[in-house]
Amino acid sequence: MTDIFNQVFSGLSIASILLLISLGLAIIYGTVGVINLAHGEFVMLGAYAVWFLEDHFGLGLFPCIVLAFFAVGTLGWVVERLIIRRLYGRVLDTILATWGLGVILQQAIRLSAGAELRYVQMPPGLSAAVHFAGVDVSAYRLFVLALTAILLAVTYVLIFRTRFGMRLRGVVQNPEIARCFGVNTSQIYALTFAYGAGLAGIAGALVSPLKSVSPDMGTGYVVDAFMVVVVGGVQSLLGTVASAGIIGELSGGLAYLSNDTIAKAIVFLGVVVLIRFRPQGLFALRVRRG
Amino acid sequence: MDGQRKHPIWAKLVGYAAFCLVILILPLFITDDYLLNKFARYLVFGLVAMALSISWGYAGILNLGQAVSFGLGSYCMAMALKLRTIPIQTGAEGLPDFMVWNNVKSLPWFWEPFHSYGFAIAAGVLVPTILALLIGTFVFRARVTGVYVSIITLALLVVINLVVIDRQRLTGGFNGLTDLAPLELFGLTFDPYAHATYYLIAVSLGAALFLGLAVVHSKTGLIMQAIRDDENRVRYFGYDVAAYQTFALCLSAAVAGFAGMLYTLVMAFASPTFLAVPVSLSIVIWSAVGGRASLLGSAMGAIIVTGVQGSLSDTPAFLETWTLIMGALFIVVVLFLPRGLISLVDRIPLGGSARRRAAAATVAASRSGINAG
Repeated sequence: MTDIFNQVFSGLSIASILLLISLGLAIIYGTVGVINLAHGEFVMLGAYAVWFLEDHFGLGLFPCIVLAFFAVGTLGWVVERLIIRRLYGRVLDTILATWGLGVILQQAIRLSAGAELRYVQMPPGLSAAVHFAGVDVSAYRLFVLALTAILLAVTYVLIFRTRFGMRLRGVVQNPEIARCFGVNTSQIYALTFAYGAGLAGIAGALVSPLKSVSPDMGTGYVVDAFMVVVVGGVQSLLGTVASAGIIGELSGGLAYLSNDTIAKAIVFLGVVVLIRFRPQGLFALRVRRG
Repeated sequence: MDGQRKHPIWAKLVGYAAFCLVILILPLFITDDYLLNKFARYLVFGLVAMALSISWGYAGILNLGQAVSFGLGSYCMAMALKLRTIPIQTGAEGLPDFMVWNNVKSLPWFWEPFHSYGFAIAAGVLVPTILALLIGTFVFRARVTGVYVSIITLALLVVINLVVIDRQRLTGGFNGLTDLAPLELFGLTFDPYAHATYYLIAVSLGAALFLGLAVVHSKTGLIMQAIRDDENRVRYFGYDVAAYQTFALCLSAAVAGFAGMLYTLVMAFASPTFLAVPVSLSIVIWSAVGGRASLLGSAMGAIIVTGVQGSLSDTPAFLETWTLIMGALFIVVVLFLPRGLISLVDRIPLGGSARRRAAAATVAASRSGINAG
């Protein structure tokens, strides 16, 4: 029983990180129509931001998380202004441009921060285990779970309860009409991209104490996050949440039974089979056409 | 095509023939075997970039997992060569050395048939093709297109790469398959520095270019291009869109698998880095830089980019920044030259189009004359 609970909890903690990454990905794809292959590198930059701030300025993890959000978010904004906006209507080409961008970011980090693995300290208050429902769980993982829930709520409020969110939903439904009503679509696109990138930055900051930080850490995350988006769809927050939960638990459980690689392979096979038989039910196939 | 001038087919044929001639007579001017080996590698990259152009440039399927086909082909050839390595480097009963180190007692079942060259060469082409067939059937039948296909192929690549590294007992894991015997076929020895290897690769590339040209100018090729431009319209005409898309993906995979086999010959080893994300990325970059919608353009894109990379690799400063340059070049090409370098060639006026242009000018002149009058 304890084993199962531990397993479920570890799956949840995988899922919460996955959710943060795929949430940004899904918001960017759903609104701007861009598949951001540099998303994994945004996660990596978030992790490096924490390492850099901790190493050079002795900052704790909490201010680092906030700074990572704004730093990576700003980068996302700049990227949208410089590259992405030239490619609206050329969906396949945005994949290429963001892939190229990912390569540049990876190499830039490798050249500036070094290719070796970096480690980030767990905040002292959270490194202990907490006795919870009869078992010991890591306090940090609980913190990650709670922060993910808060960010999810913030995203929900942002999209469904603010003026910005109303404009954003208008742009998703019909950009032309939204423009006719005076919505500055290009600003919405830039801010959405920045917000999605910022979420990736937070995800990176959150994983940094759990895993070693390296320039190519993003690739694995971005593939998993894409699986989440493919399964959950981009149209609903709930779909992304459910899908992150399913894939997180599945990866965790299968990894427990065999190993990480086999778990990944089986999840991938499952996703491909799923696409064949339930393409409409599980994700929206609304590919934008220019 | 975007108002671009299209050259008549004879001009294309002349261009392709000239390219084949150049790569075939190149060994006459190169005495250094090491240099020839380098050029052979560039041509293999040209072949795999050309393969991507079939699915991406002509059928609109951006396969980000092209390295899967390339790597699987490479492993098929390497498995056959590994089994022929001289006994000192292998274990008892010809068991490959890494299996001995990993305590594998007998040859795994799927290694058995690789004792035969015929099987290995067929497998190098067929394994990637069958995989493409499976993926194509699952994905295209569900009418998944565009970016989702790219993501699924990318995920496939990452997963296969992880599995190959993970199953060290069966695949050699991280080290790949090294210490290979040279391929001996038809009384010729194809070792990395032999002229025979270079000619095999050059002839393969030439043949693949002309075969590819024949396919993309056939009716099937035209339908593929129509699907790329507007999938639904083709569907309304009653064509089986998924079948054509799957065909394009399979053909591309087959050529890439063949290129992978040749790469094993040139490198004399197979490594999981052959089927990793950076290789796939490079293939896409070569094809994009050369011209995704041109077989020759893609091939030349690969040769030019890797050629420049090869000549810069002697200077360490460039080696480190090379990835940065590539990434930036890629973005610039995607933004400002989406049809690649070959589109610059397309702007050169030729006899036929010049005549047409003159005719158009006459028509315009007479029209304005009418208006004036």
